[in-house]
Amino acid sequence: MTRIIRAADGGADVRGHNERMRRDGYAPIEDYALIGDGRTAALVARDGSIDWLCLPNLDSPSVFGALVDAARGGCFELQPTVPFTASRRYVPRTNVLETMFTTAEGAVRVVDAMTIPDERLPPMRELARSIEGISGRVPMRWRCAPRFDYGRQDPTPAWRVGVPVATWGSDAVGVANWDAGTPAWADGGVEARWEVKAGARSLLALTTAYGEPLVLPGRTAVLSRLESTIAFWERWSSARGYDGPWADLVLRSALALKLMIFAPSGAAVAAPTTSLPEQIGGERNWDYRFCWIRDSNFMIDALLRLGCYDEARSLFWWFMQATALTAPRVSVLYRLDGGIGAVERELGLAGYRGSRPVRVGNSAVAQHQHDIYGALFETAWLYSSGHHALDADAGARLGAIADHVCDIWRRPDSGIWEVRNGPFHFTHSKVMCWVALDRASRLAAAGEMPSRHAARWRREADAIRAYIEQACWSDDLHAYTRVAGSRDVDASLLMLPLVEYADASDSRVRATVDAVDRMLREDDVVYRYRAADGLPGAEGCFLNCSFWLVSALARCGRVDDAAALMARLAARANDVGLYAEEIDPKSGAFLGNFPQALVHLALIDAATAFSPSAGRRERQAS
Amino acid sequence: MIGGAIAGGFVGTLLMTTILRGASEMGLTRIDFALLLGTTVSENRRKARAVGYVFHFIMGILFALAYAQFFAIVGRSGWALGALLGALQAIFNGTVLVNVLLPVVHPRIGTPETAANEIALIEPPGFLMLNYGRSSFAVMLAAHIVYGAVVGWVVRV
Repeated sequence: MTRIIRAADGGADVRGHNERMRRDGYAPIEDYALIGDGRTAALVARDGSIDWLCLPNLDSPSVFGALVDAARGGCFELQPTVPFTASRRYVPRTNVLETMFTTAEGAVRVVDAMTIPDERLPPMRELARSIEGISGRVPMRWRCAPRFDYGRQDPTPAWRVGVPVATWGSDAVGVANWDAGTPAWADGGVEARWEVKAGARSLLALTTAYGEPLVLPGRTAVLSRLESTIAFWERWSSARGYDGPWADLVLRSALALKLMIFAPSGAAVAAPTTSLPEQIGGERNWDYRFCWIRDSNFMIDALLRLGCYDEARSLFWWFMQATALTAPRVSVLYRLDGGIGAVERELGLAGYRGSRPVRVGNSAVAQHQHDIYGALFETAWLYSSGHHALDADAGARLGAIADHVCDIWRRPDSGIWEVRNGPFHFTHSKVMCWVALDRASRLAAAGEMPSRHAARWRREADAIRAYIEQACWSDDLHAYTRVAGSRDVDASLLMLPLVEYADASDSRVRATVDAVDRMLREDDVVYRYRAADGLPGAEGCFLNCSFWLVSALARCGRVDDAAALMARLAARANDVGLYAEEIDPKSGAFLGNFPQALVHLALIDAATAFSPSAGRRERQAS
Repeated sequence: MIGGAIAGGFVGTLLMTTILRGASEMGLTRIDFALLLGTTVSENRRKARAVGYVFHFIMGILFALAYAQFFAIVGRSGWALGALLGALQAIFNGTVLVNVLLPVVHPRIGTPETAANEIALIEPPGFLMLNYGRSSFAVMLAAHIVYGAVVGWVVRV
């Protein structure tokens, strides 16, 4: 099977041929890298196959979906036809991927990017694949087999002015190609073989259209866009102001997050994939291509810390517009266009390594999760504290939402982890309701919200605190508990010092962090809880919880422990610096959707926890 | 009559554009007249679409004036005659206009004889615009019949 050899530069070599890098046609999740253009994103496997691409947008149906059905999903392969090793990296400070294939016959470099449009009549979406001969003569092949509508629709193959084109309904894709063999349609895909000599350069451009004619670009235009795309990402990276510890990981996380922000609306997906399993063969497979309110405060915090003011402004106002549809109730998640319709349904696909069902939509949208109110108000507070004023409408709407929190906080909910055997009185939910009313009071005091009900918000916040201190603390456990009256802990309790519910020096907070560290940590990673949650099957350790533990330890003064843990977690990233939602603590294999925004947001928070100059007060002055 | 033709041409084009856009969203076709027309003058997609819509409406009004002239010559009008003219125009557009005349003036549209070269090309529409989807001609025919019917109904001889 797959044999991984660590390379000296921190990248990874995979020795073997395509079949040996995969199991039943599926690459390990950690073998993927993400490229994108702010509207959609693709996952490129280490063996050169693009196994995930939704068109035209992040939340559209997939055209390449081999990630969740190797046989029917569709993919775009590009690799040597002889045994090879592969090492890869992002072109420094960009979201452009560079893969080096080394064979006995020579070496080839492939550069993959979703290009940023320019003024030269760009296709609606364009994925460029540049192939350069480095040494020798390497036999290569490419095969593009699009399958529209999540693999359920075979394409109609055709040719347009010499370019192979596949269409279905309003969708069309074509593969413009230069010095990359003579393509021919076979078995529902177009493919070609050719030989790349040292110094030669071949080029493929996947051009796509939805509801319009395809644009078939010229070679010069594609190369120009590839270069300007690299330049764009370099400029964007240069504008990030972070120079604290773990700067490389923080920048890679920022670049990954930028790809998960849907530029047309400013919303951010939790991950660009659906139904990568939390357990191989299991059924905990969810669609993360929605914007969760829960991630909002972390996202705004990270964006402001990193100097992404335009993105922060766009995201915040998207939140204000989206929540206007449901206020004073706030939905758990919203579509990228701000809508709330996210009907969950199952696709008849094979699933990643047999992990069925493959779902699109997410029924969590119908749950009551009270922690999201805290996330929303923390978002507004952070945004306002960054010298961005709220307008009167937003302030009034937030005021109505704060009143709603006063009405509902005593009720049980499904909690941050969206358990399906609830509702319960989750401690974390109560804390976040406290955060909501605390921040509402602060915003009212700052003149950003109407202060008419501020006294009630403060009174209810005090009542929540009293409830937490009485019902959610266990003397036996010597920690806050997962649920009021329970005898176990939950990794979400690590948020207490992060959201300033209590000072990190508080004895109860320190004891709770210690309890989570003791009861939920396995090796260097953390389970979110060990209680039943109403779903069959097991799951891996949640990487965001692992980074939250770093943040909590650092803030509680256990800086050496935090730094040691951070170093070990840094080594858990894949070869291009990305993380999935979960990890198998023993094998190190990634599980769950990939890459996950919340993990990278938690990583940024953890890294900045070590740097006094990156603290919240200081950041506000930025 | 001229005023009626202008009004009818405008409303007819409005309906035609809406039908085409709706059909596109329903997955029936990839016809996008705004992009097709606008890219004759601009490679910038936004500008091209804006200019293309203006072109489309101007052409819609000019064709309505031509319809009115035809009505005057034959001495009668009405929605049925307008719809018939619309159907004929759809056939003309799908065969001659987009495949013969448009490539003459359009610097970026492909033809069956064009090879992929250094100039960005718009995918050629093909006979009856079927390259843009199997239902493309049916959609275009329906849109032009509606357009012609509106013009024929509004213009009084």
